[in-house]
Amino acid sequence: MALGDLEREVMTQLWESAEPLTVRQVHERLNRDRDLAYTTVMTVLDRLAKKGVVTRSKEERAYRYAPAQSREEMTAALMLDALSASPDQDAALAYFVGQLSPAALAAAIEASRKAP
Amino acid sequence: MTALYLGLLGLLLSLVVPGPLAAARWPDRAPAGAIVLWQAITLAAVLSALGVVFAAPQEFTQAIGSGKLVMAAALSGSLAVAALIVARLLISLYGVSKRSRVRRQRHRTLVDLLDRVEASRALGGSDQLRVLDGALPLAYCVPGREPRVVLSDGALKVLDRGQVDAVVAHEQVHLRHRHDVVMESFTAFYQAVPRPLRSRRPLDAVRLMLEMVSDDGARRRCGAGPLRTAIERLTDAVPLTEEVAVSEGEDRRRRLDRLAVSHTPSVTLTVVSVIIAGAILVLPTVVLVVPWLDEALNYWPF
Repeated sequence: MALGDLEREVMTQLWESAEPLTVRQVHERLNRDRDLAYTTVMTVLDRLAKKGVVTRSKEERAYRYAPAQSREEMTAALMLDALSASPDQDAALAYFVGQLSPAALAAAIEASRKAP
Repeated sequence: MTALYLGLLGLLLSLVVPGPLAAARWPDRAPAGAIVLWQAITLAAVLSALGVVFAAPQEFTQAIGSGKLVMAAALSGSLAVAALIVARLLISLYGVSKRSRVRRQRHRTLVDLLDRVEASRALGGSDQLRVLDGALPLAYCVPGREPRVVLSDGALKVLDRGQVDAVVAHEQVHLRHRHDVVMESFTAFYQAVPRPLRSRRPLDAVRLMLEMVSDDGARRRCGAGPLRTAIERLTDAVPLTEEVAVSEGEDRRRRLDRLAVSHTPSVTLTVVSVIIAGAILVLPTVVLVVPWLDEALNYWPF
């Protein structure tokens, strides 16, 4: 299984959980329908923490992992990131099909964020 | 006089020509040719500036009959300023492409984590495709060595299968033809120009031309109809404030208009623009720089 797929699945477990999870808990949840090594899960969580998308805290002598942002927050932030482009700073990150200015789309994202 | 002519040419290319060229409608029939023309204009303006830097001090010192020492000082000054201009452009280009690469890398990582795998696999086809949650209809691509085409849930809701294919085809033209490299070079140039002289015109015009090139690629693969409807639906589905809607309309109108008529990409127009682009780059050198250089070398101070 590709590392990218595994990272995504670990993130999904963390997002679906109400509380921070230990490596063992993530390992158990992923292993319901397959056989993964404990150390693999540990490595993946470590990588995700290094990427800053997962936070790690120590509780009762075990590390617990939680997503840095909820799935919705991260998605909205990602879209805003794709849209934010000013030639004074950077080239555009992404190319959008609809010919709308990033500012207009960003305003729409912000609006949809406020009105759930 | 050479310095004066080169200076006038530089001003003409950077201040006068961009306005009418951005407003002209013929590029809609030859967007790729127009992009080459914009590149030539931008490059020729830089070359003119460099020409002035060398010719002006030389001509001035020669006219007032300066001695060898003064002329040598003038030439050294020219070399220093020219090096500064070139360095500024190169540093700007390096900075822009490096920052873009880092941001895109990060974006790719997050898109891969947030991907709704069931939805993106269901679309089949490319393994570059990613689907994000979210009601706002978005479709974009992240260029680079590992490119991604990203669609939001909202976009999949307003588009049918044929329209999704047209949108993906449009994005893949951006990715395949490395439109990001073109945009980065124009952005780098924009940033290197001192603030009061900067103009967004070439940047915005080239951007629109690149969209048209992608539209044409998608039209060839999926037909104009689905793409046209997709563009309309993707923009109409976004709630916009009134003043934004007015200012956004123009570019979109131009793209939709050319998708409405049966396609006649003008080979003639493309060839003519490329020839003019070549002339803009070559003629000033032949007509102005070479005769000047010929004479200036007689007074070479070193």
